[in-house]
Amino acid sequence: MGVSIFIQQVLNGLTLGAVYTLIALAFSLVMGILGILNLAISEIFMIGAFVGFSLITAGVPVWIALIGAMIAAALVSIVIARIGYEPLRNANHITPMLSTLGFSMILQNLATNTWGSDPMQLTLEGWLETRFSFGLVSLSVVQIVVFVVTVGLCVLTALLIQRTDIGRALRAVAENREISRILGVRPRRMILVAFALSGLLAGAAGVLVGLHYSVITPYIGVEIGLKAIAVMIVGGATNIWGALLAGPLIGILEVLTVAYGGAAMRDFVVYGFMIVILLVRPQGLLGGSSKTSGGRV
Amino acid sequence: MLKSMMTAAVLGVATLTTMPAAALAEDLTGKVVKFGAIVPASGPFAEWGRANTVALKMLEKQVNDAGGINGAKMEITIYDDGAKPAQAVSMLRKLADDDKVLAVAGPATSSAAEVVFPVANELGIVSVSQNSSKPGVAAANRPWAFRNTVDEAKLATVVVPYFAKTFNVKTAAIIYDAKDATASSAGTKIFPKLLADNGIENLDADTPISFNTGDLDVSAQVTKLRSLQPDAVVLSADYSQAITVLREMKRQGMKTPVVGSTQLMSSAILAAYPELPIVAPTTFFAGLDVPAVKAFAEAATPLMRAEKNLPKTIEPSLFDANIYEIVSLFVQAVKETGVTADPANLAADREKIRDYMASESDFDGLGGKVRFAEDGDAIKSFFIVQAMDGKWTSLETACSSPEAGACDQ
Repeated sequence: MGVSIFIQQVLNGLTLGAVYTLIALAFSLVMGILGILNLAISEIFMIGAFVGFSLITAGVPVWIALIGAMIAAALVSIVIARIGYEPLRNANHITPMLSTLGFSMILQNLATNTWGSDPMQLTLEGWLETRFSFGLVSLSVVQIVVFVVTVGLCVLTALLIQRTDIGRALRAVAENREISRILGVRPRRMILVAFALSGLLAGAAGVLVGLHYSVITPYIGVEIGLKAIAVMIVGGATNIWGALLAGPLIGILEVLTVAYGGAAMRDFVVYGFMIVILLVRPQGLLGGSSKTSGGRV
Repeated sequence: MLKSMMTAAVLGVATLTTMPAAALAEDLTGKVVKFGAIVPASGPFAEWGRANTVALKMLEKQVNDAGGINGAKMEITIYDDGAKPAQAVSMLRKLADDDKVLAVAGPATSSAAEVVFPVANELGIVSVSQNSSKPGVAAANRPWAFRNTVDEAKLATVVVPYFAKTFNVKTAAIIYDAKDATASSAGTKIFPKLLADNGIENLDADTPISFNTGDLDVSAQVTKLRSLQPDAVVLSADYSQAITVLREMKRQGMKTPVVGSTQLMSSAILAAYPELPIVAPTTFFAGLDVPAVKAFAEAATPLMRAEKNLPKTIEPSLFDANIYEIVSLFVQAVKETGVTADPANLAADREKIRDYMASESDFDGLGGKVRFAEDGDAIKSFFIVQAMDGKWTSLETACSSPEAGACDQ
């Protein structure tokens, strides 16, 4: 039984880690390119979850709900970019971060007033209910969907950043805004693209969380968002694959700590691990040297 | 028809006592009798606070439509504390000092009550919680603190043996919310002791299974519960957190019966895992077959469902019933104790309400008689209920006091 339970806990950790990965990517897109921590991403993730839930509850197919929630989250992210970031981009580093913090509070209140504070529950039907059992170990179709969508979105994001004109423009802006402008890149547009991409990923994470746990509240963003920041730091804010490595790592570490040490130890271990990484490898496990991190636009 | 039924119910709830009252009744025509309420209308328990608000506004209208309180208009000033203890203290001070209310219904949560009650004592104003059930919170803050709830320990003392017998429970595992004052107290003190007292082996006694308020992922905890293979799960958490655990139990295919405290009482729990037996105590549920409850539920339900911030399937909860009873009791106190509603006599009026609360033994609440013990907690009937077919069904009725006849009608 011990081995089966251990395997089950690892699967639990991988699922949790997959969600952390997507949100960490959302953080690192803005952090790596613009050099600011967009604290509203946690709540954009939550909004994505509610939009996805609402669409699924209204009878919209899951895949369309996923895309719809991603678009809604991207739109919210663009609004934050235009109102909360752009007017403040020449201010001190802390100012736009505080602005995004304000937006996160507004979004949480908006969700509470729109959907209520009670947990919103989803009843899965059809193929989404399917589970595969191997003795005491069980794996649901939704968990497989979470893994596949996460890896798929990571690959797509990496391809976009590394192989497309948009990606090259984003990296150029991250390197030097003025020179990129001379080279024909429009930095303002790229800022919006970075925020939109970040919103798309956070929205997807929201829908996946909703599907997996079948219950969401307007308060899910804070805790998961903080863990995702830890994942970004551990993986390295400048490397997309860093989030894909650190997400499952933190997820498994967290779940095993709860299982074998107790919930009281969880945050101590997870954030303790983050601090150790900051001390011994500040650029993160897969991050380059600090000189390669995105300059602030 | 409904209006007349409700008026009758209010008159039944709010003006029951007879001859001695008439002797003390003041003519308050032209005056305003002010009460206050502190509810969590924002934050994690916003539904509770918003539904409480609907129940209070309904009562205010009912009382005023029925002629007010000895001729005076009743006003209930309702403030939102967001379930934050510090904010609850500020609201109490504002109600007592600025609004000069006679008595306050609330705050809701035990963590808020623990800091508000000492301030109520300092200010000399009655504060009655509609939700708090952590043991000893009112008892530590006499004489101005009251709770129209029953200590979870008293309820669990009856529920655990009943549950064990009904579901043939020999072993159990406890999971609790470590950051919720009431849930933590029940999960670490009340339930472990009662399991031992009833000869039930507590499988996670050495390594208690807990989670924190706000946690969405409790997969590790439920996998651990599953590995222990208990006959029953004791779930000590507020309903919104309990839903997360129940959903995870369902996801992992765990079919073990669940028992918990009054914190589980919510219509939202019914949808979390409908196939699973979930047993809890409560002093009220909307489906209770009692005329006053039916009238209250029939009047309050459409009003709550019409609120844009409340679910369209909501039913009045025991906390709505509790706060409705609290202010009804205030109304009765004003009617019967010669409260003047004169700002010059504010302190004396507040004392009259306090003394009435402490001594009253003939108040008809919605689910039966309500009075307050020396520790400030309510003595009232309660029901052991089970979630069944999408609704709560009463299995057993009991009294929160062992004293003979304490809950008799």
